[in-house]
Amino acid sequence: MPNRRGRQLALLAALTLSLGLAAGASAQATKTASTKSVSTKPKADSSINAAPNKTIGNPSAPIKMEVFSDYECPSCGAFYENTLKKMISGYVADGKVYLVHHDFPLQMHRYSGIAARWANAAAKIGKFQDVDAALFDNQGSWTETGDVTKYVQGAVSPSDFVKLQTILKGCSTSPAPQSKFDGSMPAADPNCPVDKYIIEDIGKGYQVPVKATPTFVVTYKGKTYPMASAVSWEVLKQFFDTLLSQ
Amino acid sequence: MNVQTSKTAKVLLLVGRLALAGIFIFAAYAKMKPQAGGEWSAGSLRVSLAMFAMQVDSYQLLSPSTVNFVAHTLPPFELFIGLWLLSGVLLPFSALITALLLGGFFSVMVRSYRMGLEINCGCFGPGERLGPLTLLRDGSLLALAIAVTVGAFWMYRKRSSLSEPSAASDVAVRHAG
Repeated sequence: MPNRRGRQLALLAALTLSLGLAAGASAQATKTASTKSVSTKPKADSSINAAPNKTIGNPSAPIKMEVFSDYECPSCGAFYENTLKKMISGYVADGKVYLVHHDFPLQMHRYSGIAARWANAAAKIGKFQDVDAALFDNQGSWTETGDVTKYVQGAVSPSDFVKLQTILKGCSTSPAPQSKFDGSMPAADPNCPVDKYIIEDIGKGYQVPVKATPTFVVTYKGKTYPMASAVSWEVLKQFFDTLLSQ
Repeated sequence: MNVQTSKTAKVLLLVGRLALAGIFIFAAYAKMKPQAGGEWSAGSLRVSLAMFAMQVDSYQLLSPSTVNFVAHTLPPFELFIGLWLLSGVLLPFSALITALLLGGFFSVMVRSYRMGLEINCGCFGPGERLGPLTLLRDGSLLALAIAVTVGAFWMYRKRSSLSEPSAASDVAVRHAG
């Protein structure tokens, strides 16, 4: 009996040693790829008929990060303020990450679809980054009052604001499209030129599938890594560094 | 307690122990396996653990450095616990550690659910949302771990009490000799 117990303890010790070695091998690599710096702002497109450009950074960056977000969701606001802002000024500016915004306005939020319309209109004239920031920076205010217009107006020049109003003039009477709990597609207002882009994003979100916002999908070397929650910049950066060291 | 009851208890303990061992080994595997259909390598392991770190971080409970530590030590530790349970060596202690670990997981999950965090559970790799069903499953696992712990300690005490008189009689025989 004591010999058997001794053998068992020896086996356990061997397992512990092998696991220790495995844990050591998994230590984090911090080496990052060096890339040249690029502008964080997309090129302005003056044509109001253009498709909205809701991207930030260099499209040829090694990492692509697609974020499915709702302008009224508090987690999305916190994710933008605490993580994406730092990422935009750091890894997006450095050309390591290409950020793509997808609208996924949730059914439970009253003004999220309206905010998405403004963001898409701004994206048509190359002002997405400014309006995106204004909507998240003032989320606590406009979600209370519903006055999205005030903060969009404050984020762009008077002439650009006129352009945005022109784009959205046919949208005022219809409800903005929102994702549905049952996974069905919302209806687009044919008079509202941005609705089809929001619906396109919702359709992409259903394919992921997005169950909550924010959800993001990281693509690197053809492999996709979905993540369905907000994370801190420090931990996300470490994930990017790990990918870039591969 | 008669012999039949004792046998049944032993079988139940064995089944419970093996179930917990299997679940822990699978949980470790799911966290460490290559993501996005890749192949096993040191690099794929680093990516998987970095992804697990994001899941740990989403609980909004730990600092980034602690998140990093937990994400890199928990999956190997789960594998160790699973193999320890499988070996059956010092079962009362392996079962107790399992119950404490599951108790910790369960309390963190309940806290996050009550806070309304819409996050991934992270229990068996990415893609599983934290919800009532995950709470029910982890609560059941905790109950099983407690039952195995109680059963293992009971068996241990029973075996000890049976071996004491025989040891005494050995001494008596030696003295008689």
